[in-house]
Amino acid sequence: MEKENLVKKDLIVSRRSILKGAVGMSVMAAAGSLALDLTTQKAEASILKTIPKKWDETIDVVVVGSGFAGLAAAAEASGARSQTVILEKMPTYGGNSIISGGSYSSWDDKYHLRQEQNLGDDSPAKWKEDWLKGGDFYSAPELIEVIVNGAAPALNWMIDEGGLEIRKVLARHGGHSAFRAHMAIEAVGRPYTEALKKIGENRGAKIRLGTQVSWIWRKDMDGPVLGVEVTKGNKKTNIKVKRALILASGGFSRDVKMRIAYNPALVPEFNCTNQPGSTGEIIRYAQAIGADALQLAFIQLFPFAEPESGILDVFATYPAKGAGYGFVYVNKLGKRFVDEMERRDVVAYAQIKTGVKPTYSIFNELMMKKMAGEKELEAGVRKGRFIRGDTITELAGKLGIPGDTMQETIAKYNKYLQEGKDSDFNKKITKQMVPLTEGPFYAVAQWPAVHHTMGGLRINPSAQVIDIWGNPIPRLYAAGEITGGIHGSNRLAGNAYPDCVVFGRIAGINAAKEKALS
Amino acid sequence: MAVHKIFRNTLVALVGLVCVIYGLASEEVKARTVSTKYSCINCHRDFTAVLQKGHPPVKGKDITACLVCHPPKSTGKPELNAFSARLHRAHQCSKQKLDCLVCHTWQPARIFGLPMQKWTIGKSSRKDMDLLKQIFNSWSSSVFLDALHAKKNVTCKGCHGNTIPISEATIENDRCLSCHGGLEQLTAKTSPLEFPDRNPHKSHLGEINCTVCHHAHRESEVYCLGCHKTFQMKIPGVSIKSSKSTE
Repeated sequence: MEKENLVKKDLIVSRRSILKGAVGMSVMAAAGSLALDLTTQKAEASILKTIPKKWDETIDVVVVGSGFAGLAAAAEASGARSQTVILEKMPTYGGNSIISGGSYSSWDDKYHLRQEQNLGDDSPAKWKEDWLKGGDFYSAPELIEVIVNGAAPALNWMIDEGGLEIRKVLARHGGHSAFRAHMAIEAVGRPYTEALKKIGENRGAKIRLGTQVSWIWRKDMDGPVLGVEVTKGNKKTNIKVKRALILASGGFSRDVKMRIAYNPALVPEFNCTNQPGSTGEIIRYAQAIGADALQLAFIQLFPFAEPESGILDVFATYPAKGAGYGFVYVNKLGKRFVDEMERRDVVAYAQIKTGVKPTYSIFNELMMKKMAGEKELEAGVRKGRFIRGDTITELAGKLGIPGDTMQETIAKYNKYLQEGKDSDFNKKITKQMVPLTEGPFYAVAQWPAVHHTMGGLRINPSAQVIDIWGNPIPRLYAAGEITGGIHGSNRLAGNAYPDCVVFGRIAGINAAKEKALS
Repeated sequence: MAVHKIFRNTLVALVGLVCVIYGLASEEVKARTVSTKYSCINCHRDFTAVLQKGHPPVKGKDITACLVCHPPKSTGKPELNAFSARLHRAHQCSKQKLDCLVCHTWQPARIFGLPMQKWTIGKSSRKDMDLLKQIFNSWSSSVFLDALHAKKNVTCKGCHGNTIPISEATIENDRCLSCHGGLEQLTAKTSPLEFPDRNPHKSHLGEINCTVCHHAHRESEVYCLGCHKTFQMKIPGVSIKSSKSTE
């Protein structure tokens, strides 16, 4: 009887006490260097992975992922004279960042574009307010504070040191109360990744492509991250991290199983705008060594993807950028279905509710000219992405929409602009919105696709990863889409760029400050 | 001294002959992991039959007979007379696949060379040697880029440089572009007529490694199509089956 009790007592020792307490210590001491692994079901089994006896390599700062966050982190870490290596599992660098739409939100910049062009007032506080409201107040205010204050210096840093060239225009996206979307000369993410890469490489950072992290080594719940296991081809090696590990590997939009596990509504039939590498395994590895994750169910649909492939090409960026200039969204019946200035989630679900794929953005040349040149308009037409019609009726005919309904919709909309009041959807009419009176008119087809995973690893304002007990995990940092609690339930367009660059920089600076392990 | 050496080599080669005959007869010319020298004469009683018209008569019974006049050049560039490429291809054709060690000398992780040559072409471990044999078969008879290069008389060193490649060897872009470029010419050559901005050599991914799409020893792939599923793009070095699916 007594014996049985003893056995029971042993079994109900909690995982926490195994990991933190004397029992765990004695187990570990007996077995040597065992590694923390919370992914297995049984506490006893969770410490069976063994920490490598010999490391193949030692590096000061290891960064996982080569998007904005990883590049910015590597640039700052190498700038602080830490030997820095970026590990990128894909055969090309840049992740989602390099293929992204190119909008960088910032309330200010070195040229003071908004003030120059009389586009109204803005401030970090105003931006923060939009940010928190846009994410239904699920964002951690102390993290947003860091971004809104760091965004302009980070943008200027890329311009000054990275040679980034930006357009001398601003756009206002849905959910933003001010014109604060900056765009590079080419309306994509590459000019920003190239600028960050340039800064990093000039400072000595290196990128290793086709190199996948396959485990994070940590010994116990109080100790630091020790290193990573790396898989290249069929070969596994182990890298000891001398100062810190920075996780900047992005989200999990492309991991259908993971996204359905957190949000069952996002069935496999949904297209995805992301690059194929956005599969979230680093989140799971981090969780396996005790990292906390939050808000993983908040997954954003991009409302305007190319309906068949889910591609977010340059043409798919205009429905969002054009909303502030008066783009009108219509369904297959030729009717408006939403306030075009609404947030992404509202627009996406409004489209799904129309019940017929796709919907269309209607615009004219005057609106496009506010954001891009004639060349882009022509390219869109040649590639079959933009449909042109000299009149609204002709355009409607080409789209297979009843002409009279569409004409009625547009006439009514023009009247709303004139009156300054949208009686259908209560859109806030501004003087930047152009009426659809002057042809030729254009349309672009659009449909929601899985786009951004707002949830992820919990971090503090120093970009340290927080464990499930609320304490920072020593020598572990994270930045960018892999983190959670920043964009709340809904990310506003253009807000991911400053999130990635600002927190990437902070992670890099703090990682380099860690005392080097001997 | 040299004559004496040739004589000795011939003797060694004769001993090896039995093994070769056994190997060919059983049609099981598998990778061997021991260094053994073989002779040519079990197949070539008389070299004249396989030599070009006007080629001076050749005496000897193994590869050393050729090396007297055709010393290996380690320039890393395709040779003008393509001796090495042709010799390799002829012995790796669909009818027969001779073991590397019929001609080459090998001591695991120490020497990979040729008889009578003082230098080594590189070091090949047992594991690398297995891979080397496998890839060499691919070079001589696959549908991949390696075989396309072979047909143009480009041997391993054309891409891999002077020493035999080890596993995980990669090719830098400059190496490819030294024959296929510069990048600008290549970009111009592959510019699509209808949509010039859908040029795989000048894409929104910036300057990427050639090897992202162009794999030498396995099926090449158009990386673009991973996302741009509707694009019409072709690439050399794929099997007929997959080239049809991308058309």
